[in-house]
Amino acid sequence: MTDPGPSGGEGGVLQKRLDRRAALGMLLGGAVVGTQALSACVPLSAETDQQREVRLLKWQEYIKRDYRFMTEAERAETIARLERLAKLQRGVDISIQSTGAQPGVMFGYAFNISKCKGFRRCVEACINENNLDRRAGTQYIRIFEMEDGEVNFDLADATFQHEVPAEGHFYLGTQCFQCANPPCTRVCPVGATWQEPDGIVVIDYDWCIGCRYCMAACPYWARRFNWSEPEVPVEELNPNQHYLGNRARKKGCVEKCTFCIHRTRQGRLPACAEACPTGARVFGNLLDPNSEIRWVLANKRVFRLKEDLQTEPRFWYFSD
Amino acid sequence: MSMQRVRAGVLVMTGLLAGCHERLHPMWAESAVSATRAPVDSVTAQLNRTREPGALATVVAVPVKRWTGPGGQPFEVALRSAERESGHARTFGTITLPIVLRTRSATLSQYPCTSCHLGRNVVMVNQRISDAHNNVQPVHPSQTGAVCSTCHAADNVELLVLRGGEHATLDESYRLCGQCHFKEADAWAGGGHGKRLDGWQGRRVVMACTDCHDPHRPGVERRIPFRAPELERPGSHNR
Repeated sequence: MTDPGPSGGEGGVLQKRLDRRAALGMLLGGAVVGTQALSACVPLSAETDQQREVRLLKWQEYIKRDYRFMTEAERAETIARLERLAKLQRGVDISIQSTGAQPGVMFGYAFNISKCKGFRRCVEACINENNLDRRAGTQYIRIFEMEDGEVNFDLADATFQHEVPAEGHFYLGTQCFQCANPPCTRVCPVGATWQEPDGIVVIDYDWCIGCRYCMAACPYWARRFNWSEPEVPVEELNPNQHYLGNRARKKGCVEKCTFCIHRTRQGRLPACAEACPTGARVFGNLLDPNSEIRWVLANKRVFRLKEDLQTEPRFWYFSD
Repeated sequence: MSMQRVRAGVLVMTGLLAGCHERLHPMWAESAVSATRAPVDSVTAQLNRTREPGALATVVAVPVKRWTGPGGQPFEVALRSAERESGHARTFGTITLPIVLRTRSATLSQYPCTSCHLGRNVVMVNQRISDAHNNVQPVHPSQTGAVCSTCHAADNVELLVLRGGEHATLDESYRLCGQCHFKEADAWAGGGHGKRLDGWQGRRVVMACTDCHDPHRPGVERRIPFRAPELERPGSHNR
C-alpha cells in the first residue's frame, strides 16, 4: 500500500486492485501466524521447521502479483522464494535470473532446410536446457520429414524413427516463431503471456490459468500444456534458469520455446542452434545490419510459414 | 636412396604397430610433439592474453584471411588445438553433447606428420596411398581427377598447397576448399554455412571447413536420430 508499484501513477481502478491483493496478503499472513500460535499451544501436527517454512513460502508465492506489475524489489523477493523452495523441497541450488531485454536487439532465426538432416540433436539439447517434462516427453521443437518438392504438413511425418536422412526427403523444424503479430497473446484472458521488447513471447507460469486459448490461437502448434505435474530428475535439472524461461512449471500451465531467453539475453546462442551438427540454424539480432541473420535474409531465398495469416514470424526458412 | 626408403618403411611400420599416433612410439614421441606443437602453443599463449571472459573463454581462434563477414566485418576461425582440448563438446543443462558431425581430432590417427616423416620433404606417391595412409579413403577429390599433391604440399608435409603455388597451414582449410567451393565459402563468411561458436554477440568465431567435413569424405553420413515425440494422433502437438 505504501508502495504504489510501477503503474501506481495510473491510480484509480488499478490502485484499488493492488490494495485488495495486498490486504489479502496481510490477512493470509495473519492467518498463518495465527495457525502457528495455535500449533504452539496445541501440538496437534508434527510439523517441522522446514515444513513450516515451505508452507509460508508457498502462501507468499500464491498471493504474488503478475510479473509485469512487480517492482524490482518484488521480483527479487519472488526469485529468492523460488530458489529457497527448490533448495528446501528438492535439495538443489538453482539460480533464477530476471534479465531484461537488451536495448537495440530484436531476435531472429533462420533455418536451412537444405542442411537439416533430421538428427534431432536440437531436440535433445532443448529438453536438457529447458528442463522439459521427462515423464510426458514434452518437446518444443518438431522436425518434420517431408517429401521433396513441397512443404505440405498433411503429408509430413514428425514421428520418424529410422536412419536419416531418408532418400527423397527433406527436414523442416518448427518451434515457437516469436511472431511480431502474435495471435496467442491477444487471446489470453488474464494477460499471462506477452511479447518482450526483444521480440520473445513469454509466459508468466504463475499467472497462467491453463485455459489453453493460446494453444488454439497459435497456427504453428508451438505451445505445450502440462497435463500432469512436470517431472525432471534432480541430477538432470539445469540450475541456470530464467523467471520467464526454463524455471519449474506447474501442472495446468502452458509453456513453449523462448529462444532460450536465459542464454540469448546474455549473448549466447540458443541451445538448439549450438547443438545443431549440420549448421542448419542461424540466430542473431535483426536490428544489427552486420549480423549473420541479416546476411541470410539479404542473400538467400527465404520464406515463412503461413504468411497469409499475417502473424509475421521472426523465423525464416532458407535453402542453399 | 634405397637406405632412405628402407628407413621410411620402418617408420611407417612403427607407426602402424603403435596403433594410432595420438600415442606415439616412445622413440618418436618427444621430438614429434616438440616439432609440431610448439607453434600452436605459442599462438595459444598469445591469444590467452586477449581472451574475453565468459562465453568464448575456451575458444582459441585466429583472424580469417581474405574473406570478410557480413558488412565487411573481420571474423575469426577456431583452431584445431582448441578443438583437440575441448573435443568440440558443448554443455546443455547438465549433459554434454558433441556439436560436430565428426571431430577430426578423434580420427587424426596419423597426425602430426613428423611421427613418420622425419624430414619435411616427402616423395609424393599418389598411387601408393594404401601403404601408409590406408585409413584415408579419398572419395571426394578423386571424382575430379585430383591426387594427393593437388592439396598437400610436396615439399612440406605439414602444409597445404593452393592452386597458385602458395602454401597454407592445416588450420587454413577454408583457403584451400574455397578455391572450388567458392559459393560455400562466401556463405560461410556471411553466416549461411557452417557454425558460429558460443554466442550471437561479441567476437564472431566460426568453425573451419575441416571441423565438420572430413576432407577425404566430406559428405554427411546417415545416423539414427534422437527419439521421436509421442503424439497421440498425427497432427496433435500437445507434447
